[in-house]
Amino acid sequence: MGLSDIGNLVRLPLDEIEPGPQTEAHDYLIQEASNLLQASQRNWIPIVVKETGVDEYEVVANSFVYEAVLEAGLEKVWCIIADDSPDTALVSSVLANDVVPKVNLSTATHKQIANAIDYLIKQPGTLLKGVSVTTAAARIEDAPRKYWQTLEPVTKLKCRISKSKLKELRKVFYLEPEPLPDVITDTTLLDTFTATELKKMAKKRGLKGYSSLKKSDLIKRLSQVE
Amino acid sequence: MSLQSTIAELPEGAREPVVEQRFVPEFIRALGFNNSEMAPQVETGAGPVDHAARSSVGDDHFLDTLRDPYLYVETKGQDKDLAEGQKEYLKVVAQLKRYLLGEKSKTVQWGIITNSLHAQLFRKHGRVIYPVTPCMECSDIDAVVKTFRERMEAPPRALTVAIYNNKGGVGKTTTTINLAAALTLLGKKVLAIDFDPNQQDLGDALNLPPSQGLMWQTLTDKNADIEKALAQYKYKAPRGNREFGFDVMLSDEDMISQIDEVKLRQDVRPNALLKALSGIKQTEYDYILIDVPPNWRIFSQRAVYAADVVLMPVRHDNLHSLQNAGMVITDLLPEVQAERRKLGDFGPIALPVFLNSLPSKISHSHAEVMHKAIDKVIRAGRQKKFDLRPYFYPKWTSNRRSLAMQRIRYMAHIAKADFYHVPATFYSKVAFEQYRGFIKEYFLWG
Repeated sequence: MGLSDIGNLVRLPLDEIEPGPQTEAHDYLIQEASNLLQASQRNWIPIVVKETGVDEYEVVANSFVYEAVLEAGLEKVWCIIADDSPDTALVSSVLANDVVPKVNLSTATHKQIANAIDYLIKQPGTLLKGVSVTTAAARIEDAPRKYWQTLEPVTKLKCRISKSKLKELRKVFYLEPEPLPDVITDTTLLDTFTATELKKMAKKRGLKGYSSLKKSDLIKRLSQVE
Repeated sequence: MSLQSTIAELPEGAREPVVEQRFVPEFIRALGFNNSEMAPQVETGAGPVDHAARSSVGDDHFLDTLRDPYLYVETKGQDKDLAEGQKEYLKVVAQLKRYLLGEKSKTVQWGIITNSLHAQLFRKHGRVIYPVTPCMECSDIDAVVKTFRERMEAPPRALTVAIYNNKGGVGKTTTTINLAAALTLLGKKVLAIDFDPNQQDLGDALNLPPSQGLMWQTLTDKNADIEKALAQYKYKAPRGNREFGFDVMLSDEDMISQIDEVKLRQDVRPNALLKALSGIKQTEYDYILIDVPPNWRIFSQRAVYAADVVLMPVRHDNLHSLQNAGMVITDLLPEVQAERRKLGDFGPIALPVFLNSLPSKISHSHAEVMHKAIDKVIRAGRQKKFDLRPYFYPKWTSNRRSLAMQRIRYMAHIAKADFYHVPATFYSKVAFEQYRGFIKEYFLWG
């Protein structure tokens, strides 16, 4: 048995613990939880902390419990000591319901996309009222999303998600885009470029007679190559 | 010019004389000594050390009198790699230790090794020399200076000694109380700690009742007043109406039943004892001796964590006690040192082991078996890149292959003392002489 406390359930003085990720729990919930704690004097659901120095800890997960314990004025709190890796922090805060997990939209499966959008739509106060899960998921899945640098292209997929609603999507999606291929022939992908950019592409590929074309025709020309 | 730029302007791979001339004097000035307070090539009684220093007292400038040195600095060139564990590092540490134990070094309290790329601070407490900081890189020399100054400006009065071997029955408790008593008779202020709540032998040996919750409070409540957990042990000499005594910290009575390891860990942090002792270590005692349980569990770990040095009794007739001593040095201490580094400390080191309760005569074949066992331990240590020989044969040098070991002789007085509940050193002159010799080897000058 070593000296390390990682993995152990320990009782720590509250003033040695710094807050971590913020909880979005309503004051009412914190207040009532703290009232219950004042009676029981023990948080049976421990806070997950990591060691940041000698006698210094930081909340990794279960921020709600931390807030409630703070409010209740307990001097010592029950904690589980986690290691300090980012992976540990992520999985703990997700498991503790502190944060909503995010999906990599560059590579997500259809089911992941559909579930994520469905989750968003069912949140109170959602901006995505009227969006169809089936349509949106299908169109996003088929789009050349592995190259997307931002979520902007979603607004052009005609699934009732406008620019102002993208912030909803950002709650569940992130992107790890691949670099663009040298030669682009995918029409939906080409459509995400401006006419000027498309003309540059045409020039690079040595095409002729493109300078007077409209964007839609440019896309046609470029998609036909090879 | 800043110390940083002095280092930057040294030629790459600067040899010893260059480092010694351009860097070291400025380094010593940064540590708070002026030109008249330092001198080069000062005789230690074991050869000349590169630099020595002491603050002036009135008109007594160290440069003039070379009296009562306080700090030694031993310098190497940048061509010598002084990273911890390197061959050159071990060599210069051994050299510094020799100087610090030279007959003219009695007043020296600190030693530094440096080659302008690395620097490490050592403390000398009596005859015990231990690293205070890890060997630090000088890339941020100002941080090194700051650390060294902080340490040197607040030297703790006490040396904390953990008496440990994870084999039982080697005489840890007997050693602790007799050392405590002998040091007391030699005029030192001593605290002995019974940190083996499972057996509580120390309290029992002194016929003191266990404490009631005070140790627990000391270890778990950071605002606890440790003084409350300290008791006094007094021995009244039958003749001459004299009274001797030292302080003790005893285990709690109910800790015996409360020995569930998992539950203890929930409340007692790894640094609990170190922290509890920090105040009294600074000013109250000369020696804090901890009687450590014979295992590697929660109390042993916290005791060793709190220690400056670890003193390990072994038995000539118990091979496990020899093996375990080797294992403590190669496995357990590095683990604790890694934790103590987080505090900027080097962490506890082992003193040479000693044969406890050695009969005045052991047969030749018996001795041979023991030395063979020790050889095996030393070989096993080498596999883990540790040189264990100095811990078993401290007098061994390349030209004098001495198998002499430190020892406490078997004595009926010492063995019997348990039944009287008094440390033998308090009432038996021969027992005292035995421990006094031991103390002069390990701890005290003269």
